[in-house]
Amino acid sequence: MASNDPDREEEAVAGEDEDTGAQIAPIVTLSEVAVTTGEEEEDALLDLKAKLYRFDKEGNQWKERGTGSVKLLKHRETGKVRLVMRQAKTLKICANHLGGAIVVIPSIKIQEHAGNDRSCVWHALDFADGELKEEMFCIRFVSVENCKKFMETVESITETLGKSEEKESEDASAAAGLLGKLSVAESKTEKASEEAPAASVKAEESSEVEKP
Amino acid sequence: MGWETEICEPFRALPNQQTVDYPSFKLVLVGDGGTGKTTFVKRHLTGEFEKKYEPTIGVEVHPLDFFTNCGKIRFYCWDTAGQEKFGGLRDGYYIHGQCAIIMFDVTARLTYKNVPTWHRDLCRVCENIPIVLCGNKVDVKNRQVKAKQVTFHRKKNLQYYEISAKSNYNFEKPFLYLARKLAGDQNLHFVESPALAPPEVQIDLAAQQQHEAELAAAAAQPLPDDDDDLFD
Repeated sequence: MASNDPDREEEAVAGEDEDTGAQIAPIVTLSEVAVTTGEEEEDALLDLKAKLYRFDKEGNQWKERGTGSVKLLKHRETGKVRLVMRQAKTLKICANHLGGAIVVIPSIKIQEHAGNDRSCVWHALDFADGELKEEMFCIRFVSVENCKKFMETVESITETLGKSEEKESEDASAAAGLLGKLSVAESKTEKASEEAPAASVKAEESSEVEKP
Repeated sequence: MGWETEICEPFRALPNQQTVDYPSFKLVLVGDGGTGKTTFVKRHLTGEFEKKYEPTIGVEVHPLDFFTNCGKIRFYCWDTAGQEKFGGLRDGYYIHGQCAIIMFDVTARLTYKNVPTWHRDLCRVCENIPIVLCGNKVDVKNRQVKAKQVTFHRKKNLQYYEISAKSNYNFEKPFLYLARKLAGDQNLHFVESPALAPPEVQIDLAAQQQHEAELAAAAAQPLPDDDDDLFD
């Protein structure tokens, strides 16, 4: 695109990081601090260069959120997976949300973005600014392969999660069934009849909540 | 003496502006109208790139935080009007400025010609502050001001960066330079800010269905710069 452009070459030459500024006395003294990324307990399942957009509902348009590396991080102990993306150079967070935790319902459901097979979209409750915000995101990768890789990784996380959720709700309904039987059985004996049905209702409620 | 007390107290950019318990600096952003001052600030604030030109009236103050190996710092960016008719208090906005950026547009020669005026006005109010000169829009092919023709910074001892708010080329450099000067630490650099664990929230089925419908509608909208590739 700009290969035969002389301006480009000059740019590269133009005093990169040469300090031509005046000697000025500093006005604050700052000392080095311990730096924490918040990602210390996690392993990256994926780390890809990408451009992130958020959907501006008012203007009905996608707006850039940042360019940098997107990571899917899995916590070593809890097994929870989240998506963290940082802006290149400033390293600020442009996205930070759960990519399918145990309680969170179907997590990021990814759809391919219309007319662009290098991008996909999803909805999330994002925590990038330290408060939960509903956002719709679109991410664009450098290649179709990277996009595919990203989508497959996210889908596999959701699947694993779905299975564990199903299993849990099965367990819960089995327990509820047992409790139900128990209550029936126990209703014959006078004393326990008041407590048992309450317990069975509770179990059913929790199984409903955990269903996706 | 007055100088020192200003630094110790967190400087209040506006009467109702929240103050912070980490170092903050007043940064004055000046330059001709249309050179990209507001777009540059917005880019840092939200990541977006605003193509539409809406002249700034008077001044807009935005806090911009950066995480460094020496802790968090904040620049209160005083994004001033470039157009004369919207100037408002003009150099009244420069008072207590602790650092500055003078911006011009490399595709408009006149904006570079006016740099000395902006510099003179700024220096009349703010003496001995670190100043960065930024030549914006270097992503554009047909430049009117070539890198070699930019010499003003050498005469006046300013730092110069070629930047592009559109492609993010060098977009962090002005802030990094100013932070290093203000702290007198050449090794200061940006570090990853802590990514806190997001809290878990349950979403009910109805809300989820609504999200899916919204998402389908959003997915039908094109991306703003679908045709170009700006990964650098």
